[in-house]
Amino acid sequence: MFKKLLVANRGEIAVRIIRSAQELGIKTVAVYEETDKTAIHIMKADEAICIGSGPRRDYLNIDRIINAALASGAEAVHPGYGFLAENSDFCRKCTEAGLVFVGPPPQVILDMGSKVIARRVMEEAGIPVIPGSGVLPPGEEGKQQAVRFAEKYDYPIMIKAVAGGGGRGIRAAQNEQQLLRELDMARSEARMAFGNDEVYLEKAVIKPQHVEVQILADQHGNIIHLGTRNCSIQRRHQKMVEIAPASLPSLVSDSICRTAVDASKAANYVNAGTVEFLMDDEHRFYFLEVNTRIQVEHTVTEMITGIDIVREQIRIAAGEELSFKQEDIQFRGSAIELRITAEDPKNNFMASPGVVEIYLSPGGHGVRLDGAIYQGYEIPRYYDSMLVKLTVCGFNWKETVDRLRRTLDGFVIEGLKTTIPFYKQIVVDKDFIEQRFDTSYIETHPHLLQYHEEKSDVERIARLLAEINAYGYNPYADQGQ
Amino acid sequence: MAEENRVTPRMSSKEILRFLHNTPGFFITNNERDVSQSDFNSRVMPQTTLRAAPYRDEAGYFAFEISGGASIHVDLLRKQINPFEKLRQVRKAMPNTLLQTVCRGRNLFGYRPYPDNVIRMTIRLFSKYIDVWRIYDFMNYTPNLKVVVEEVQKAGKLLMPCICFNTGRGHTDAYYVGKVEEIIALTGEDIILSIKNHSGIGSPMRIAQLVRSIKDRFPDLLIAYHGHNTDGNDTARMTSAALEGAKILEASDHGYGGFYSQAPVLSIIQILHDYGHKFPGFKFQAAVETSDILRRDLRLYERHASPYRGFDPTVKRHKLTGGAASSAFEQAEKHGLLERIHEVFSDLMQVNKELGNIWSVTPGSQILWTTAMSNVQHGRYEQPSDDLKRLLLGRYGPFPFYEPPGWIYEKVLEHHRKDGKKWQQILVEEGGVQQISDEDIDARRREFEMEMRRPVSEEELCLYLQFPRDALGYFRFEEQFGKTWMLPPEVWYRQGGFKDGERITFSDGDGKTHHIDFVSTRRTEDAVHISMLVDYHFQTYTTELKQGE
Repeated sequence: MFKKLLVANRGEIAVRIIRSAQELGIKTVAVYEETDKTAIHIMKADEAICIGSGPRRDYLNIDRIINAALASGAEAVHPGYGFLAENSDFCRKCTEAGLVFVGPPPQVILDMGSKVIARRVMEEAGIPVIPGSGVLPPGEEGKQQAVRFAEKYDYPIMIKAVAGGGGRGIRAAQNEQQLLRELDMARSEARMAFGNDEVYLEKAVIKPQHVEVQILADQHGNIIHLGTRNCSIQRRHQKMVEIAPASLPSLVSDSICRTAVDASKAANYVNAGTVEFLMDDEHRFYFLEVNTRIQVEHTVTEMITGIDIVREQIRIAAGEELSFKQEDIQFRGSAIELRITAEDPKNNFMASPGVVEIYLSPGGHGVRLDGAIYQGYEIPRYYDSMLVKLTVCGFNWKETVDRLRRTLDGFVIEGLKTTIPFYKQIVVDKDFIEQRFDTSYIETHPHLLQYHEEKSDVERIARLLAEINAYGYNPYADQGQ
Repeated sequence: MAEENRVTPRMSSKEILRFLHNTPGFFITNNERDVSQSDFNSRVMPQTTLRAAPYRDEAGYFAFEISGGASIHVDLLRKQINPFEKLRQVRKAMPNTLLQTVCRGRNLFGYRPYPDNVIRMTIRLFSKYIDVWRIYDFMNYTPNLKVVVEEVQKAGKLLMPCICFNTGRGHTDAYYVGKVEEIIALTGEDIILSIKNHSGIGSPMRIAQLVRSIKDRFPDLLIAYHGHNTDGNDTARMTSAALEGAKILEASDHGYGGFYSQAPVLSIIQILHDYGHKFPGFKFQAAVETSDILRRDLRLYERHASPYRGFDPTVKRHKLTGGAASSAFEQAEKHGLLERIHEVFSDLMQVNKELGNIWSVTPGSQILWTTAMSNVQHGRYEQPSDDLKRLLLGRYGPFPFYEPPGWIYEKVLEHHRKDGKKWQQILVEEGGVQQISDEDIDARRREFEMEMRRPVSEEELCLYLQFPRDALGYFRFEEQFGKTWMLPPEVWYRQGGFKDGERITFSDGDGKTHHIDFVSTRRTEDAVHISMLVDYHFQTYTTELKQGE
């Protein structure tokens, strides 16, 4: 096993990785940018190295991170999620520098990172894929191909960036006029976002469920799955609520998990990964993509299986065999994870950086927090707005929802706007309670945003007191003077 | 039926009048509305009233005036309280005391005449809470009271029509007795006639003579005396009025220590006790305790008090009404005229004489005062207000004694006229009491509901019809901040903000206690973030600061 691991990330996932490493007796090295010098992951690691003035660019600077790893004497690098986690160059350069990259080999990252190659690999392996086009040629020819594809499979049609991911670079077209317009915009957006304007088309699956399967694969050919997750509740293709298991009929569940294992084999997969599917209302599922990293929502799987996925990632990277076989995996109850972010739901989820004035976290049976904040911490405006991931589990779905409601009610983060009030609306929503949701849930439940932050008269009066305090006098008592 | 030798809201108007007729002695009305308006620019907050309420209710006043005059407008504009809500709270806190309002006749609680249907609606809605309607017309033009009288009688409430009092040319006993005759012809004799000495002028002897003259003509008429203590002589005037037969005297709590409002309750009671008279049902100790409570709050209202405190015997000459004193000084300050206030008062004396020696009471007092200020600032009658034009046109009623000189008509009525018409022609063509057609109340309701984006209540509409802009502003405030009348005045008027760790405690309308604790305050360039425990639950509020704050 490694003696020292560098975590090439920040925030909650860096802390998460540090925890598992420390449990394995591995010393940890955090990296940080000057603009992130008060981040909690720095305090949790055994040592920390500043890799630049930031913001963001140094966390993306492969050479600096490798240099930091080498300078600190780390033997392995864990990329977390985001930043360089799915950058095959980073993976390759780590290997070239003699560092072990905790994740799949570079070629797998490269292949699965390309939507088109990934689709081809899956098609060749007999994995069901959504009818899709190849990469569209530029200009008029591409438009003509797009129109022909739409005529064959009918609208709506999804336009996807080849280099897209994380829900970005996806557009929908309901008719030909919209298709041609969105095609240009999708190319332009993809060029700006990913430096690659290649796009392809897919037949849209109407009101689909987003179902994914957690995979673990060691370097000895053992591949197992850790069951399903339902991540259908999304806002603009960004997951907001993640659930395990996906509550599918057992035959469907078995089938999709088996397919995911087959897909991983087809991709020569190693380490932890996620195979994502779209599932229609008749439980037909189609391959979507493979995420070649630890995912934000891995905690729900950990809660229902008891397995520490990050620990297994490190063990796999160290060349060890998986600690268990498929038949050892047992699923108990259900779990829900929420991403509590510094965003103002009422203001189109605009980022709301600020200082965490008060932080009173919930706890108790079945509650897990993966946080990156502390009281007095100023959320930097340069990074993602994740404050803390709240994961709860229960003996069954009802107990889990009840627990989540209780936990949110007792969760106090003051000083900035958060998504907590919005989640409080979701946990009491009838459709959510009865598990009636698909990827259109947020769009079709606009009333969830109709909450009052100050509900009672006293809370509203308190707002006035805040204004009196801010101005040093009551602006409403001297109005017009 | 009478309870414990006092009148109560549970008695009918007739029972109250019978009780007053049959009970020897005098009664006191406590006029907090006027104290607040005259001495503290109408800024006394509901929680001060409610703190004193149990003691006042115990004291056994004939009535408690807490509504009307400028208070309705100021409640909406500066105190952010629904005037109906205030009445509900006071009624709850003072279940044994009649609540009184003062209504400016056709001008209701505002400054210009309202349509009849708005007047009727207003009186109908306020009558749910108001037991005694003290009504007046500032020109003593009795026809202007007609609609109000009809509605108060329809509501079965006690009618207290006023004769506005003044001194000098034309203000004879014969004139005022004639006015009382006109009023009684309109109302019948089931009233209490009020002598409204709004400026606090006239000697005790003059008031005695007036009361005697009225009693000579109407021996059974119940008379109330409402005066102001601007010159320090109102206790004497009240004594004279009482000794000549006035039954009800309006007074203030000594805890306020006012100057421009009424003389203290206990002072007049002590004097009349010495004359061997009684105040049935009145509890001296409760009045003492009321003032003990009020004294604690007095300092909170100091900054709204007139910059000139103290008795002013020159009121006899300038006649500025007590109710306008603090706002008049405020206006003068705003126009940079505080240093030249003696010039304004001097001009006011002149204006009084020039404009027919009418009554300096709202809205007349505002017309006279702003004219005097404008005269000092811009030259005499060089920049006449629209309200002055209306006065000269007789829109509020005819000048009863004499008309202003022609040169004033010329300057005022021809000012900024583009049609070249001369004042005589203007007077003929445009003069006379203003006839106002009924309001399209349904249309105004729709307009108001569109603004509020919700259905509105009758009471809300009533306030909107009277003060459209300020009512709208208030209801939007209420939507955002709730019922802030619950806040103690020391919080509402807080200067310098609150300290972290400070606790604010207050009770709501149901008597439930609430706590708000300030936990932390963080200031950035353009905002202030404040975390609080609101009834033991954390909340953070961000106030975006306006530029320059």
